[in-house]
Amino acid sequence: MSSLPLQPRRIDLSRWVIYGLVCLAVLLPYVIYVEMPFTPSKEAKGLYDQLEALKKGDHVLLAFDFDPASQAELRPMGRALLLHCFRKGVIPVVMTFWPNGLNMDKEIIEKTAPEAGKMWSREFKNGRDYVFLGFRPGDTSFILLMGENLKTAFDKDYYQNPTQKLPGLTDVNTLKDMKLVVDLAAGATVQAWIAWGSDRFGFPLGAGTTAVSAPDMYPFLQSRQVVGLLGGLRGAADYEVLLNVNGDGRLGMQAQSFTHLLLVGLILFANVVVFIRWIRGGKD
Amino acid sequence: MSFFKRLTLPLLIVFGIGLLGFAQEFVPHPIAHDFTEAMTTCFKIMGGFAMILGIYSLTHLHVTRIRQQGPGWGYSMFVFLGAGVMIVLGVWNDGVGPLREVSEGKTYFDWGYDYIYVPCQATIFSILAFFMASAAFRTFRARNVAAAMLLIAAVVVMFGRVPVSETVGRWFGTPDVFTNATDFLMNGPNLAAKRGIILGVSLGGLAQSLRILLGIERSYLGGQD
Repeated sequence: MSSLPLQPRRIDLSRWVIYGLVCLAVLLPYVIYVEMPFTPSKEAKGLYDQLEALKKGDHVLLAFDFDPASQAELRPMGRALLLHCFRKGVIPVVMTFWPNGLNMDKEIIEKTAPEAGKMWSREFKNGRDYVFLGFRPGDTSFILLMGENLKTAFDKDYYQNPTQKLPGLTDVNTLKDMKLVVDLAAGATVQAWIAWGSDRFGFPLGAGTTAVSAPDMYPFLQSRQVVGLLGGLRGAADYEVLLNVNGDGRLGMQAQSFTHLLLVGLILFANVVVFIRWIRGGKD
Repeated sequence: MSFFKRLTLPLLIVFGIGLLGFAQEFVPHPIAHDFTEAMTTCFKIMGGFAMILGIYSLTHLHVTRIRQQGPGWGYSMFVFLGAGVMIVLGVWNDGVGPLREVSEGKTYFDWGYDYIYVPCQATIFSILAFFMASAAFRTFRARNVAAAMLLIAAVVVMFGRVPVSETVGRWFGTPDVFTNATDFLMNGPNLAAKRGIILGVSLGGLAQSLRILLGIERSYLGGQD
Protein backbone atom coordinates (compact mmCIF):
# COMPACT_ATOMS: atom_id res chain seq x y z
CA MET A 1 0.00 0.00 0.00
CA SER A 2 2.97 2.31 0.32
CA SER A 3 2.88 2.89 -3.46
CA LEU A 4 -0.41 4.78 -3.19
CA PRO A 5 -0.01 8.51 -3.80
CA LEU A 6 -2.50 9.44 -1.09
CA GLN A 7 -2.46 7.64 2.24
CA PRO A 8 -5.54 7.80 4.52
CA ARG A 9 -3.48 9.46 7.24
CA ARG A 10 -2.52 12.22 4.85
CA ILE A 11 -6.20 12.76 3.98
CA ASP A 12 -7.06 13.01 7.67
CA LEU A 13 -4.29 15.50 8.29
CA SER A 14 -5.54 17.85 5.60
CA ARG A 15 -8.06 19.54 7.92
CA TRP A 16 -6.34 22.92 7.75
CA VAL A 17 -6.21 22.71 3.96
CA ILE A 18 -9.97 22.11 3.97
CA TYR A 19 -10.51 25.06 6.29
CA GLY A 20 -8.42 27.22 3.98
CA LEU A 21 -10.35 26.07 0.91
CA VAL A 22 -13.72 26.72 2.60
CA CYS A 23 -12.47 30.18 3.59
CA LEU A 24 -11.48 30.90 0.00
CA ALA A 25 -14.76 29.53 -1.37
CA VAL A 26 -16.71 31.84 0.95
CA LEU A 27 -14.60 34.96 0.40
CA LEU A 28 -13.65 34.80 -3.29
CA PRO A 29 -17.16 35.31 -4.71
CA TYR A 30 -17.30 38.63 -2.83
CA VAL A 31 -14.16 39.70 -4.73
CA ILE A 32 -14.80 38.07 -8.10
CA TYR A 33 -18.50 38.28 -8.92
CA VAL A 34 -19.85 35.49 -11.13
CA GLU A 35 -23.38 35.91 -12.46
CA MET A 36 -25.46 32.79 -11.73
CA PRO A 37 -29.12 33.27 -12.62
CA PHE A 38 -31.56 30.89 -10.95
CA THR A 39 -35.26 30.10 -10.91
CA PRO A 40 -37.05 30.59 -7.57
CA SER A 41 -38.43 27.41 -6.02
CA LYS A 42 -42.17 26.71 -6.11
CA GLU A 43 -42.20 26.62 -2.29
CA ALA A 44 -40.96 30.24 -2.17
CA LYS A 45 -43.36 31.21 -4.95
CA GLY A 46 -46.24 29.75 -2.94
CA LEU A 47 -45.54 32.19 -0.11
CA TYR A 48 -44.91 35.09 -2.48
CA ASP A 49 -48.22 34.49 -4.31
CA GLN A 50 -50.12 34.30 -1.02
CA LEU A 51 -48.82 37.70 0.07
CA GLU A 52 -49.12 39.18 -3.41
CA ALA A 53 -52.84 38.30 -3.45
CA LEU A 54 -53.56 40.46 -0.37
CA LYS A 55 -55.20 43.87 -0.57
CA LYS A 56 -53.91 47.20 0.69
CA GLY A 57 -54.61 47.55 4.41
CA ASP A 58 -54.69 43.80 5.09
CA HIS A 59 -52.63 42.55 8.01
CA VAL A 60 -49.80 40.02 7.99
CA LEU A 61 -48.31 38.67 11.22
CA LEU A 62 -44.57 38.08 10.98
CA ALA A 63 -43.13 36.01 13.84
CA PHE A 64 -39.36 36.50 13.95
CA ASP A 65 -38.55 33.46 16.08
CA PHE A 66 -34.78 33.40 15.78
CA ASP A 67 -31.66 34.81 17.41
CA PRO A 68 -28.39 36.19 16.02
CA ALA A 69 -26.97 32.66 15.50
CA SER A 70 -29.42 32.13 12.61
CA GLN A 71 -29.52 35.68 11.33
CA ALA A 72 -27.42 34.88 8.23
CA GLU A 73 -30.28 32.80 6.86
CA LEU A 74 -33.40 34.28 8.43
CA ARG A 75 -32.67 38.00 8.56
CA PRO A 76 -32.69 38.41 4.74
CA MET A 77 -36.06 36.61 4.70
CA GLY A 78 -37.44 39.04 7.28
CA ARG A 79 -36.25 42.03 5.29
CA ALA A 80 -37.65 40.66 2.02
CA LEU A 81 -41.04 39.90 3.57
CA LEU A 82 -41.22 43.38 5.13
CA LEU A 83 -40.31 44.98 1.79
CA HIS A 84 -43.06 42.97 0.10
CA CYS A 85 -45.60 44.09 2.71
CA PHE A 86 -44.59 47.74 2.32
CA ARG A 87 -44.73 47.50 -1.48
CA LYS A 88 -48.25 46.03 -1.34
CA GLY A 89 -49.48 48.44 1.35
CA VAL A 90 -50.09 45.45 3.63
CA ILE A 91 -49.53 46.16 7.34
CA PRO A 92 -46.85 43.89 8.84
CA VAL A 93 -47.35 43.09 12.53
CA VAL A 94 -44.09 41.76 13.93
CA MET A 95 -43.59 39.75 17.13
CA THR A 96 -41.23 37.16 18.56
CA PHE A 97 -41.13 34.26 21.01
CA TRP A 98 -37.34 34.50 21.20
CA PRO A 99 -36.11 37.15 23.67
CA ASN A 100 -32.52 36.89 22.41
CA GLY A 101 -33.57 38.21 19.02
CA LEU A 102 -35.62 41.18 20.21
CA ASN A 103 -33.05 43.92 19.60
CA MET A 104 -32.19 42.42 16.23
CA ASP A 105 -35.86 42.28 15.20
CA LYS A 106 -36.26 45.94 16.13
CA GLU A 107 -33.23 46.82 14.02
CA ILE A 108 -34.54 44.86 11.00
CA ILE A 109 -37.84 46.76 11.11
CA GLU A 110 -36.32 50.17 11.81
CA LYS A 111 -33.86 49.77 8.93
CA THR A 112 -36.27 48.25 6.42
CA ALA A 113 -39.08 50.79 6.86
CA PRO A 114 -36.99 53.83 5.73
CA GLU A 115 -35.36 51.68 3.03
CA ALA A 116 -38.81 50.82 1.66
CA GLY A 117 -39.74 54.48 1.96
CA LYS A 118 -36.85 55.44 -0.32
CA MET A 119 -37.68 52.64 -2.79
CA TRP A 120 -41.33 53.59 -3.21
CA SER A 121 -41.19 57.28 -2.21
CA ARG A 122 -43.50 56.91 0.76
CA GLU A 123 -43.19 57.36 4.48
CA PHE A 124 -43.85 54.23 6.51
CA LYS A 125 -44.77 55.17 10.03
CA ASN A 126 -44.55 53.00 13.14
CA GLY A 127 -47.96 52.11 14.57
CA ARG A 128 -49.76 53.06 11.37
CA ASP A 129 -48.00 51.29 8.47
CA TYR A 130 -46.27 48.68 10.58
CA VAL A 131 -46.54 47.42 14.16
CA PHE A 132 -43.83 45.91 16.35
CA LEU A 133 -45.36 44.02 19.26
CA GLY A 134 -42.10 42.74 20.72
CA PHE A 135 -41.54 39.60 22.80
CA ARG A 136 -43.93 37.44 24.77
CA PRO A 137 -43.18 34.05 26.35
CA GLY A 138 -45.39 31.00 26.14
CA ASP A 139 -45.37 29.70 22.57
CA THR A 140 -48.38 27.37 22.36
CA SER A 141 -50.48 28.86 25.14
CA PHE A 142 -49.74 32.36 23.93
CA ILE A 143 -50.83 31.49 20.38
CA LEU A 144 -54.13 30.33 21.89
CA LEU A 145 -54.46 33.62 23.76
CA MET A 146 -53.75 35.60 20.59
CA GLY A 147 -56.44 33.56 18.89
CA GLU A 148 -58.91 34.59 21.58
CA ASN A 149 -57.91 38.23 21.87
CA LEU A 150 -54.80 39.75 20.32
CA LYS A 151 -55.04 43.02 22.22
CA THR A 152 -55.31 41.22 25.56
CA ALA A 153 -52.27 39.17 24.64
CA PHE A 154 -50.38 42.33 23.66
CA ASP A 155 -51.83 45.20 25.65
CA LYS A 156 -48.86 47.36 24.59
CA ASP A 157 -46.50 47.28 21.64
CA TYR A 158 -42.71 47.22 21.94
CA TYR A 159 -42.61 51.02 22.28
CA GLN A 160 -45.13 50.86 25.18
CA ASN A 161 -48.01 52.30 23.12
CA PRO A 162 -51.42 50.77 24.00
CA THR A 163 -52.41 48.44 21.17
CA GLN A 164 -56.05 49.55 21.52
CA LYS A 165 -55.04 52.97 20.20
CA LEU A 166 -52.73 51.90 17.38
CA PRO A 167 -54.20 52.89 13.99
CA GLY A 168 -52.36 49.96 12.40
CA LEU A 169 -54.40 47.51 14.50
CA THR A 170 -57.82 49.16 14.23
CA ASP A 171 -59.51 46.24 12.47
CA VAL A 172 -57.58 43.51 14.24
CA ASN A 173 -58.96 41.71 17.27
CA THR A 174 -57.79 38.12 17.01
CA LEU A 175 -55.48 35.98 14.91
CA LYS A 176 -58.43 35.29 12.63
CA ASP A 177 -58.12 38.87 11.37
CA MET A 178 -54.66 38.15 10.01
CA LYS A 179 -54.74 37.38 6.30
CA LEU A 180 -51.43 35.58 6.54
CA VAL A 181 -49.03 34.52 9.30
CA VAL A 182 -45.39 33.82 8.49
CA ASP A 183 -43.09 32.26 11.07
CA LEU A 184 -39.36 32.71 10.52
CA ALA A 185 -38.10 30.01 12.82
CA ALA A 186 -34.74 28.79 14.01
CA GLY A 187 -36.47 26.26 16.30
CA ALA A 188 -39.69 24.29 16.36
CA THR A 189 -42.17 27.18 16.55
CA VAL A 190 -43.63 26.47 13.09
CA GLN A 191 -45.11 23.22 14.40
CA ALA A 192 -46.67 25.17 17.31
CA TRP A 193 -48.12 27.73 14.89
CA ILE A 194 -49.62 24.88 12.84
CA ALA A 195 -51.11 22.89 15.73
CA TRP A 196 -52.32 25.79 17.89
CA GLY A 197 -52.68 28.55 15.32
CA SER A 198 -53.55 27.89 11.69
CA ASP A 199 -55.36 24.56 12.18
CA ARG A 200 -57.46 26.04 14.98
CA PHE A 201 -58.14 29.59 13.78
CA GLY A 202 -57.98 29.01 10.05
CA PHE A 203 -55.44 31.56 8.79
CA PRO A 204 -52.92 30.67 6.05
CA LEU A 205 -49.45 29.98 7.45
CA GLY A 206 -46.12 30.43 5.71
CA ALA A 207 -42.74 29.40 7.06
CA GLY A 208 -39.13 30.43 6.76
CA THR A 209 -36.60 28.11 8.34
CA THR A 210 -32.89 27.44 8.44
CA ALA A 211 -31.68 25.04 5.75
CA VAL A 212 -31.27 22.17 8.22
CA SER A 213 -34.88 22.51 9.41
CA ALA A 214 -36.43 22.90 5.94
CA PRO A 215 -36.83 19.13 5.26
CA ASP A 216 -39.08 18.91 8.36
CA MET A 217 -41.59 21.22 6.67
CA TYR A 218 -42.32 19.12 3.58
CA PRO A 219 -45.12 16.99 5.13
CA PHE A 220 -46.90 20.24 6.10
CA LEU A 221 -46.36 21.71 2.64
CA GLN A 222 -47.95 18.69 1.01
CA SER A 223 -50.94 18.80 3.35
CA ARG A 224 -51.24 22.59 2.67
CA GLN A 225 -50.91 23.32 6.40
CA VAL A 226 -48.02 25.51 5.27
CA VAL A 227 -48.76 27.52 2.13
CA GLY A 228 -45.15 28.36 1.29
CA LEU A 229 -41.65 27.76 2.53
CA LEU A 230 -38.40 29.69 2.46
CA GLY A 231 -35.64 27.21 3.22
CA GLY A 232 -32.29 28.65 4.31
CA LEU A 233 -30.41 31.37 2.51
CA ARG A 234 -31.62 29.99 -0.83
CA GLY A 235 -35.19 30.66 0.29
CA ALA A 236 -34.30 34.27 1.07
CA ALA A 237 -32.58 34.59 -2.32
CA ASP A 238 -35.64 33.11 -4.06
CA TYR A 239 -37.89 35.69 -2.39
CA GLU A 240 -35.56 38.55 -3.35
CA VAL A 241 -35.62 37.37 -6.98
CA LEU A 242 -39.42 37.18 -6.94
CA LEU A 243 -39.58 40.63 -5.37
CA ASN A 244 -36.91 41.94 -7.78
CA VAL A 245 -34.76 43.47 -5.04
CA ASN A 246 -31.13 42.91 -4.11
CA GLY A 247 -30.14 41.69 -0.68
CA ASP A 248 -27.96 39.42 1.40
CA GLY A 249 -29.80 36.34 0.12
CA ARG A 250 -28.81 36.85 -3.52
CA LEU A 251 -25.35 38.03 -2.53
CA GLY A 252 -24.81 34.96 -0.37
CA MET A 253 -25.80 32.59 -3.17
CA GLN A 254 -22.42 33.07 -4.86
CA ALA A 255 -20.52 32.06 -1.71
CA GLN A 256 -22.90 29.19 -1.02
CA SER A 257 -22.59 27.90 -4.60
CA PHE A 258 -18.80 27.78 -4.40
CA THR A 259 -18.81 26.24 -0.92
CA HIS A 260 -21.28 23.52 -1.93
CA LEU A 261 -19.24 22.84 -5.08
CA LEU A 262 -16.13 22.52 -2.95
CA LEU A 263 -17.88 20.15 -0.52
CA VAL A 264 -19.17 17.94 -3.34
CA GLY A 265 -15.70 17.93 -4.90
CA LEU A 266 -14.03 16.99 -1.59
CA ILE A 267 -16.47 14.18 -0.88
CA LEU A 268 -16.08 12.73 -4.40
CA PHE A 269 -12.29 13.06 -4.21
CA ALA A 270 -12.10 11.23 -0.88
CA ASN A 271 -14.34 8.44 -2.21
CA VAL A 272 -12.29 8.06 -5.38
CA VAL A 273 -9.15 7.62 -3.23
CA VAL A 274 -10.90 4.99 -1.11
CA PHE A 275 -12.19 3.26 -4.26
CA ILE A 276 -8.68 3.12 -5.75
CA ARG A 277 -7.40 1.58 -2.53
CA TRP A 278 -10.23 -0.98 -2.59
CA ILE A 279 -9.43 -1.88 -6.23
CA ARG A 280 -5.82 -2.42 -5.29
CA GLY A 281 -6.86 -4.72 -2.44
CA GLY A 282 -6.13 -2.40 0.49
CA LYS A 283 -8.29 -1.41 3.44
CA ASP A 284 -9.76 2.02 4.13
CA MET B 1 -46.21 14.44 54.88
CA SER B 2 -49.20 12.18 54.52
CA PHE B 3 -49.62 9.84 51.56
CA PHE B 4 -52.63 11.87 50.37
CA LYS B 5 -50.69 15.15 50.19
CA ARG B 6 -47.59 13.57 48.75
CA LEU B 7 -49.15 11.49 46.00
CA THR B 8 -52.93 11.50 45.69
CA LEU B 9 -53.47 15.28 45.74
CA PRO B 10 -50.92 16.05 42.97
CA LEU B 11 -52.38 13.26 40.83
CA LEU B 12 -55.91 14.62 41.35
CA ILE B 13 -54.78 18.14 40.40
CA VAL B 14 -53.08 16.84 37.23
CA PHE B 15 -56.13 14.78 36.31
CA GLY B 16 -58.56 17.63 36.97
CA ILE B 17 -56.61 20.35 35.13
CA GLY B 18 -55.78 17.94 32.30
CA LEU B 19 -59.43 17.03 31.86
CA LEU B 20 -60.51 20.69 31.91
CA GLY B 21 -57.78 21.61 29.44
CA PHE B 22 -58.96 18.82 27.15
CA ALA B 23 -62.65 19.69 27.54
CA GLN B 24 -62.28 23.43 26.84
CA GLU B 25 -61.19 22.53 23.29
CA PHE B 26 -64.72 21.30 22.59
CA VAL B 27 -66.80 23.84 24.55
CA PRO B 28 -67.53 27.08 22.65
CA HIS B 29 -68.67 28.89 25.83
CA PRO B 30 -67.27 32.16 27.32
CA ILE B 31 -66.35 30.25 30.50
CA ALA B 32 -64.15 27.93 28.44
CA HIS B 33 -62.49 31.01 26.86
CA ASP B 34 -61.94 32.55 30.30
CA PHE B 35 -60.43 29.29 31.46
CA THR B 36 -57.99 29.32 28.52
CA GLU B 37 -56.96 32.90 29.36
CA ALA B 38 -56.51 32.02 33.04
CA MET B 39 -54.40 28.98 32.17
CA THR B 40 -52.25 31.09 29.83
CA THR B 41 -51.65 33.57 32.65
CA CYS B 42 -50.74 30.70 34.99
CA PHE B 43 -48.35 29.39 32.35
CA LYS B 44 -46.60 32.77 32.17
CA ILE B 45 -46.34 32.97 35.97
CA MET B 46 -44.89 29.46 36.10
CA GLY B 47 -42.46 30.53 33.36
CA GLY B 48 -41.29 33.33 35.68
CA PHE B 49 -40.66 30.87 38.49
CA ALA B 50 -38.87 28.54 36.08
CA MET B 51 -36.61 31.44 35.17
CA ILE B 52 -35.80 32.01 38.87
CA LEU B 53 -34.99 28.31 39.16
CA GLY B 54 -32.80 28.53 36.04
CA ILE B 55 -30.91 31.56 37.40
CA TYR B 56 -30.38 29.77 40.72
CA SER B 57 -29.14 26.62 38.99
CA LEU B 58 -26.74 28.57 36.73
CA THR B 59 -25.43 30.65 39.63
CA HIS B 60 -24.96 27.59 41.83
CA LEU B 61 -23.05 25.72 39.10
CA HIS B 62 -20.63 28.56 38.35
CA VAL B 63 -20.15 29.70 41.96
CA THR B 64 -19.23 26.11 42.88
CA ARG B 65 -16.81 25.92 39.95
CA ILE B 66 -15.13 29.20 40.92
CA ARG B 67 -14.96 28.23 44.62
CA GLN B 68 -13.39 24.86 43.81
CA GLN B 69 -11.29 26.35 41.00
CA GLY B 70 -12.39 23.48 38.74
CA PRO B 71 -11.51 23.19 35.03
CA GLY B 72 -12.46 26.34 33.13
CA TRP B 73 -13.34 28.32 36.29
CA GLY B 74 -12.07 31.50 34.64
CA TYR B 75 -14.86 31.23 32.06
CA SER B 76 -17.37 31.08 34.91
CA MET B 77 -16.19 34.55 35.95
CA PHE B 78 -17.20 35.80 32.51
CA VAL B 79 -20.72 34.41 33.03
CA PHE B 80 -21.20 36.74 35.99
CA LEU B 81 -19.32 39.59 34.36
CA GLY B 82 -21.38 39.41 31.15
CA ALA B 83 -24.71 38.86 32.88
CA GLY B 84 -24.01 41.51 35.54
CA VAL B 85 -22.94 44.21 33.11
CA MET B 86 -25.89 43.60 30.74
CA ILE B 87 -28.44 43.52 33.60
CA VAL B 88 -27.10 46.79 35.03
CA LEU B 89 -27.05 48.46 31.59
CA GLY B 90 -30.55 47.17 30.80
CA VAL B 91 -32.04 48.41 34.06
CA TRP B 92 -30.19 51.73 33.94
CA ASN B 93 -31.22 52.17 30.26
CA ASP B 94 -29.08 55.29 29.81
CA GLY B 95 -30.65 56.93 32.84
CA VAL B 96 -34.25 56.58 31.61
CA GLY B 97 -35.01 53.46 33.65
CA PRO B 98 -36.29 50.01 32.71
CA LEU B 99 -39.06 49.34 30.17
CA ARG B 100 -38.93 52.87 28.76
CA GLU B 101 -37.98 53.83 25.24
CA VAL B 102 -34.91 56.03 24.88
CA SER B 103 -35.95 58.75 22.48
CA GLU B 104 -32.87 58.87 20.24
CA GLY B 105 -29.83 56.79 19.46
CA LYS B 106 -28.61 53.51 20.85
CA THR B 107 -28.23 52.75 24.53
CA TYR B 108 -25.17 51.09 26.06
CA PHE B 109 -27.29 47.94 26.32
CA ASP B 110 -27.92 48.09 22.55
CA TRP B 111 -24.20 48.60 22.02
CA GLY B 112 -23.38 45.46 24.04
CA TYR B 113 -26.04 43.50 22.15
CA ASP B 114 -25.06 44.71 18.67
CA TYR B 115 -21.28 44.62 18.99
CA ILE B 116 -20.63 41.76 21.43
CA TYR B 117 -23.58 39.38 21.62
CA VAL B 118 -24.59 39.34 17.92
CA PRO B 119 -21.05 38.88 16.50
CA CYS B 120 -20.22 36.20 19.10
CA GLN B 121 -23.33 34.14 18.34
CA ALA B 122 -22.98 34.59 14.58
CA THR B 123 -19.31 33.56 14.73
CA ILE B 124 -19.99 30.41 16.75
CA PHE B 125 -22.67 29.35 14.28
CA SER B 126 -20.68 30.23 11.16
CA ILE B 127 -17.62 28.13 12.08
CA LEU B 128 -19.88 25.08 11.79
CA ALA B 129 -19.34 25.32 8.02
CA PHE B 130 -15.64 24.57 8.50
CA PHE B 131 -16.24 21.62 10.82
CA MET B 132 -18.94 20.21 8.56
CA ALA B 133 -16.69 20.42 5.49
CA SER B 134 -13.89 18.62 7.31
CA ALA B 135 -16.22 15.99 8.80
CA ALA B 136 -17.93 15.33 5.45
CA PHE B 137 -14.57 14.89 3.74
CA ARG B 138 -13.27 12.45 6.34
CA THR B 139 -16.38 10.37 7.06
CA PHE B 140 -18.70 10.42 4.03
CA ARG B 141 -17.74 7.09 2.44
CA ALA B 142 -19.70 4.76 0.15
CA ARG B 143 -18.80 1.68 2.23
CA ASN B 144 -21.99 -0.22 1.34
CA VAL B 145 -25.18 0.20 -0.69
CA ALA B 146 -27.06 2.14 2.02
CA ALA B 147 -24.13 4.49 2.60
CA ALA B 148 -23.74 4.96 -1.17
CA MET B 149 -27.44 5.89 -1.51
CA LEU B 150 -27.11 8.39 1.34
CA LEU B 151 -24.00 9.85 -0.24
CA ILE B 152 -25.60 10.22 -3.68
CA ALA B 153 -28.72 11.83 -2.15
CA ALA B 154 -26.59 14.25 -0.13
CA VAL B 155 -24.48 15.25 -3.12
CA VAL B 156 -27.56 15.75 -5.34
CA VAL B 157 -29.36 17.89 -2.72
CA MET B 158 -26.23 19.88 -1.88
CA PHE B 159 -25.62 20.61 -5.54
CA GLY B 160 -29.26 21.06 -6.57
CA ARG B 161 -29.93 23.64 -3.86
CA VAL B 162 -27.48 26.24 -5.20
CA PRO B 163 -27.69 28.35 -8.39
CA VAL B 164 -24.52 26.87 -9.87
CA SER B 165 -26.49 23.65 -10.53
CA GLU B 166 -28.67 25.52 -13.02
CA THR B 167 -25.59 27.01 -14.68
CA VAL B 168 -24.05 23.54 -15.04
CA GLY B 169 -27.41 22.15 -16.20
CA ARG B 170 -27.55 24.78 -18.93
CA TRP B 171 -24.29 23.48 -20.38
CA PHE B 172 -26.10 20.20 -21.04
CA GLY B 173 -29.31 21.89 -22.22
CA THR B 174 -31.36 20.92 -19.13
CA PRO B 175 -31.07 23.66 -16.49
CA ASP B 176 -33.66 22.02 -14.18
CA VAL B 177 -32.20 18.53 -14.04
CA PHE B 178 -30.50 18.90 -10.64
CA THR B 179 -33.32 21.00 -9.18
CA ASN B 180 -35.87 18.39 -10.26
CA ALA B 181 -33.77 15.60 -8.77
CA THR B 182 -33.55 17.55 -5.50
CA ASP B 183 -37.30 18.19 -5.50
CA PHE B 184 -37.93 14.48 -6.06
CA LEU B 185 -35.74 13.55 -3.09
CA MET B 186 -37.31 16.18 -0.84
CA ASN B 187 -40.92 15.50 -1.84
CA GLY B 188 -40.55 11.72 -2.00
CA PRO B 189 -38.22 9.82 0.33
CA ASN B 190 -37.63 12.78 2.67
CA LEU B 191 -41.32 13.55 3.03
CA ALA B 192 -42.25 9.91 3.65
CA ALA B 193 -39.56 9.50 6.32
CA LYS B 194 -40.43 12.79 8.03
CA ARG B 195 -44.14 11.97 8.07
CA GLY B 196 -43.43 8.58 9.61
CA ILE B 197 -41.31 10.19 12.31
CA ILE B 198 -43.96 12.86 13.03
CA LEU B 199 -46.73 10.24 13.32
CA GLY B 200 -44.60 8.06 15.57
CA VAL B 201 -43.62 10.92 17.86
CA SER B 202 -47.20 12.22 18.00
CA LEU B 203 -48.66 8.83 18.91
CA GLY B 204 -45.93 8.42 21.54
CA GLY B 205 -46.75 11.86 22.95
CA LEU B 206 -50.46 11.02 23.05
CA ALA B 207 -49.81 7.77 24.89
CA GLN B 208 -47.48 9.49 27.35
CA SER B 209 -50.05 12.26 28.00
CA LEU B 210 -52.74 9.67 28.74
CA ARG B 211 -50.38 7.84 31.09
CA ILE B 212 -49.72 11.09 32.99
CA LEU B 213 -53.43 12.04 33.12
CA LEU B 214 -54.45 8.62 34.39
CA GLY B 215 -51.68 8.54 36.99
CA ILE B 216 -49.83 5.59 35.43
CA GLU B 217 -46.73 7.67 34.71
CA ARG B 218 -45.55 9.24 37.99
CA SER B 219 -41.85 9.84 37.46
CA TYR B 220 -42.46 13.63 37.34
CA LEU B 221 -43.46 13.43 41.00
CA GLY B 222 -39.94 12.45 41.96
CA GLY B 223 -39.23 9.16 40.26
CA GLN B 224 -41.52 7.05 42.49
CA ASP B 225 -44.12 4.69 41.05
